Amino acid sequence: MLQTADGKLPLDVSFTIEKGQFLAIYGNSGTGKTTLLRILAGLTQAEKTHIEVANEVWDNSQNKIHLSVQNRSIGFVFQDYALFPNLTVKENLEFALQKNDNTQIVSELIELMELQSLQNSKPQNLSGGQKQRVALARAIVRKPKILLLDEPLSALDDEMRFKLQDYILKIHQKYQLTTVMITHSIPEIFKLSDKVIILDKGKILKEGTPSEVFSEEKISSKFKLTGEIISITKSDIIYIIQVFSGNNIIKVVATENEIKDFKIGQKVLVASKAFNPIIQVLS
Amino acid sequence: MNTLNGNITSIQSYEGISLVKVKSNDTIFTSIVLDTPETASYLETGHSVKIIFKETEVIISKDFSPNISIQNRLQCTIESIKKGVLLSQISLNFGETVIESIITTNACEQLQLEKKDAVMALIKTNEVSLSPND
Repeated sequence: MLQTADGKLPLDVSFTIEKGQFLAIYGNSGTGKTTLLRILAGLTQAEKTHIEVANEVWDNSQNKIHLSVQNRSIGFVFQDYALFPNLTVKENLEFALQKNDNTQIVSELIELMELQSLQNSKPQNLSGGQKQRVALARAIVRKPKILLLDEPLSALDDEMRFKLQDYILKIHQKYQLTTVMITHSIPEIFKLSDKVIILDKGKILKEGTPSEVFSEEKISSKFKLTGEIISITKSDIIYIIQVFSGNNIIKVVATENEIKDFKIGQKVLVASKAFNPIIQVLS
Repeated sequence: MNTLNGNITSIQSYEGISLVKVKSNDTIFTSIVLDTPETASYLETGHSVKIIFKETEVIISKDFSPNISIQNRLQCTIESIKKGVLLSQISLNFGETVIESIITTNACEQLQLEKKDAVMALIKTNEVSLSPND
């Protein structure tokens, strides 16, 4: 059961992830995304569950099987960094090791995540992006089968976000992880994931590849982008709508009639036919 | 944007591009799209679609059979004209619906457009988008 603003709501989902797949979970707040991840991690016990990972049962409510967090081969990264403040970067990684683990992985990850110059720093001296890089490295020190990411990049600015996406992709591929990531960013889903699930009120609303799920043809136009209205200015008898999209501000002309439905901050789709844009090589 | 409802009457596809004819208000519209019935399921004869085109792409002609390449030709009467300094918005009665055209005020004056004038609204094939009605 999910506790939501609308009262209790059952979380009722069933899905399969292939080994090595990158699954994105998308949906509004309070639809059960984090709960789902916590159940996978064994942090939350659901009433009725069956979770099987590579023929190993992690959860089965009927047979009273519930593997503890420690016994699940998972790595977890949350939105907040949750590093040990009194340990250096390197020590934070080493702390995640268990008795018989090969310590080689720590230096390998420090190199892979480009943390060499930071390895002796304490978390308080790191930027948000650096902390999250450490948290990612720490999550895979034990070479988990599954990496669970709960909006790990949402507190970062765009530039840092793009960089961290590259790191996530790099470790996902290098360590052949099966990754489940909660995110609110559609471009991020397209960049990282093979499969996406849209959760709505505790149920799976849609499931498929990012293009199957998000590129449903609402309009035949092929020159499309989504953004947010940042200003509406009257010019002569028309209106100029400024839309912020990705890192760009674009302008679109609209009529007086159209702007009745527009307001600042509104998410919009901007579309043009593929025949119109001019394309030029940047020198 | 101008939006009209219509039904697909024919589709001609070649190498990923389709020329789609849509009937609305007893007029056949032509649209060209980078899709085929294989890539977009709504591309089938009879399917209900919205015909979408921008006000600024609607050309006004006082000549009813101009010898020009534009395929979409709509017989309209001017319902109203809103004149601005540089641009003017012409509201046109087309069958049961109203479509809007934004042209320069210079063009509006050159054509001596007046309310109730019968005019032809012209839209290039590659300016018409389609959106399936589901």
